[in-house]
Amino acid sequence: MWLGRRWLVIALGVIFVLCVARLGTSFVSHTPGSDPWASTIRFFSGAVTPSLVDQNPSLPADAEPFLSRLGDDLLRTIRYALIATSLAIPAGLLLGFFASEQWWPRSGVRVVFQFIRWPVRILLSLMRSIHELIWAIFFLSAFGDAPFSACLALALPFTGTLAKVFSELMDEESRSPRDVLTAAGGSGAQGFVAAILPMALPDMVSYSLYRFECALRSSAVLGFIGVETIGLSINRSFENGYYGEVWTALYVLIATVIVIEGLGHLTRKKMTSGKARERRPEGVSERALRKTAPRDWFLRSTGLGWLVVILMAFSVGKPLVTPMLEGQRVERLSRFLTKLTPDPVAPDQSLADWGERKDAWSDGSGQFFPWLADLWQHPGQEAVINTLAMSVAAIIVAAWLAILLVPLGARSLANHHPLGVAMSGSAIPKLVGGMIRAFFILTRAVPEYLYAFLLVGLMGPSAWPLVLALALHNLGILGRLWTEVVENQRPGIPRTVLEVGGSRLQSYLGALAPMSLNRFMLFFFYRWESCVREATVLGMLGVSSLGYYISIQQNFREYDDILFYTLLGAVLVVGGDLTSDLLRYKLRGKSN
Amino acid sequence: MSILSVRDVSQNFGATSALSDVALDISAGEQVALIGASGCGKTTLLRLLGLQTLPSSGDLTALGFDLSKPNRKGLREVRSRIGMLPQDLGLVPNLRVIQNVVLGRSGKRNVFGTIRDLLWPAKVEREKIFEILNRMGVAEKMYDRTDSLSGGQQQRVALARTLYQGAEVLLADEPLSAVDPARARDVLELMAGLSSEQGITLVVSLHQVSLAREFFPRIIGLRKGKVAFDGKPTDGEISSLYDL
Repeated sequence: MWLGRRWLVIALGVIFVLCVARLGTSFVSHTPGSDPWASTIRFFSGAVTPSLVDQNPSLPADAEPFLSRLGDDLLRTIRYALIATSLAIPAGLLLGFFASEQWWPRSGVRVVFQFIRWPVRILLSLMRSIHELIWAIFFLSAFGDAPFSACLALALPFTGTLAKVFSELMDEESRSPRDVLTAAGGSGAQGFVAAILPMALPDMVSYSLYRFECALRSSAVLGFIGVETIGLSINRSFENGYYGEVWTALYVLIATVIVIEGLGHLTRKKMTSGKARERRPEGVSERALRKTAPRDWFLRSTGLGWLVVILMAFSVGKPLVTPMLEGQRVERLSRFLTKLTPDPVAPDQSLADWGERKDAWSDGSGQFFPWLADLWQHPGQEAVINTLAMSVAAIIVAAWLAILLVPLGARSLANHHPLGVAMSGSAIPKLVGGMIRAFFILTRAVPEYLYAFLLVGLMGPSAWPLVLALALHNLGILGRLWTEVVENQRPGIPRTVLEVGGSRLQSYLGALAPMSLNRFMLFFFYRWESCVREATVLGMLGVSSLGYYISIQQNFREYDDILFYTLLGAVLVVGGDLTSDLLRYKLRGKSN
Repeated sequence: MSILSVRDVSQNFGATSALSDVALDISAGEQVALIGASGCGKTTLLRLLGLQTLPSSGDLTALGFDLSKPNRKGLREVRSRIGMLPQDLGLVPNLRVIQNVVLGRSGKRNVFGTIRDLLWPAKVEREKIFEILNRMGVAEKMYDRTDSLSGGQQQRVALARTLYQGAEVLLADEPLSAVDPARARDVLELMAGLSSEQGITLVVSLHQVSLAREFFPRIIGLRKGKVAFDGKPTDGEISSLYDL
């Protein structure tokens, strides 16, 4: 490790202390006179008594019953996630192709292709760096309340992420089959279609399914800005203190996410291993072989199933676009553009034409930079630092917890013959291991924003509920990724520790953890990057950071200020992205 | 008649020189072994003969195509007549055997033709591929996933791909590197047999000197990017090859 492991641990400790100094130590902040403990206890008792009927006593008798409402919300959540993902996958494939270098010729004018690649990569980075909640705020004000705006808001950052990952997956594939194809006279495009794409397909499909799972969570979160998804009903039930309803909705969301995760897991397994031949034909003939060729009916039927539900998502249910009068749409957009134009250079009338806009721009341009500097002085600067501190504190907390839980959760250690060495026959390690892996699944099934909403509701508005929310979700993800790293480690050295009488913990601390440290760090930085992105919006729940100022200005429809904070956030995310890429690049060289 | 002709060819990668002033002629139907220590330029020479890279200097003519005057169309046409067998075989592991073989004809298809070949191959082509696979002894694997085959079977599939391509020249880069010693002789017998039967020109890079002597009437020795000998080498010439 290029830094030295010791220094890394010390550095993370120092950075964490700096974050605590920044964020303060008031973990809980309540308005005087309230009884927070009572509501906290009431909230958690809802976990064991989820409600199946409306808790609101004053509902009219003919109101839609709770479960049916919840079902509708869930279907809408799934529908928007499906639409968004099915738009993002083809777009991501196309952009991913241009961001990859696999289709470039092996020799000759490669420099020219850099001029295609880099603009595409910058575009992708920009799409990703703005959170879907913020895209949604912009799109909903610009185009209206049509759910299609919400889907588009989800699709945009997802396209950026999918394209980035697709291009990396394609670049990592072996070039040899493609070279054989071009050596036989095939073109670059043929090489891409026939060699690169089939090889990368299993990984691309399983990543797309993972993104759909993320889209489900994000679609739920859009409920918190008023889109009719399961997040909206959780929001309402919680505000009214109907905690039983909140828990029912949470369980439903978690169950849906887990089903999708299971499906993704199964699909991946089927695609990578392939299906073995089951039937031998009578005589060897082309026809007989073709008729008995191994075919995977699971993949075929789920593939068809996805196609059907995607078509249904687009066609069944409420129309995706709100009907509007002729001209209304243009008027709306024009008003939005006026609000989006920085104050000093904005025209007086909200429905100004292009000439008036141009005049206003040239009149006020002297005021533009002072306006910008003011916003940066207060509160931009402070908001950026708080956002960054929250993301860093969160990922460090998540990593600390994960590194303690991983040895208990790893399948290779959590049984009575860890790494093949016989230990006492107690069933406890296996039981604990299963519980920890289940805990990881549960914590990552709930989106950060939802945790943050609930925790701010219980602990009051301070930075720590947000840090805790980020840490909880990322603990689930880091826990899973790190557990896999430990499970895939060569057993030689850690087994020796057990063979000479060491305990599981000694084997982990002395061998498995140091062996895995580089890979641990790769995933640590990858998750930190997503924490930064998430931290930019969590402030919308009323805690001083970028999201807080965005939500305040949203009430006044000051989209120019929102744009400023959004771009600050984007700069922060791109910065985090680059730092993380650089660190991961450094680590990757020595990760094996 | 010489179908591969190399005149004073040098190949540099940045500051390092992989080949310097190589000159040789290979006639139609000849069977040639390339030997030499690792890093002596065998793979580079094979890639040049397969028109994969342009030489830094010198002239190269393959199947009547002059590489000093390359044009895209002509290059693809002449490449479609040369079969390359890289060390790792270059098979797409998660495609079926038939799909890998059908890709041999890429030079004679466009993108849409390739997609059609992969998804709905024509009956004539299926029967042709079956016949070739049958000859290679792996017909019963035609519709199996390629990565479910053993290393030796995969090598036969890769050979079937060049046969289906209809290659006039076969350039094989260390085809014995992944084969266990007992099967090495079988592989060379198969290649030499195909070559003499169908008049395919064969250029194979090898590490096993004794096998090269047994199977190849002509042996080219490379040492530090230069041709050390060409023909039937003496023992002294061979040992000088490995003495760096």
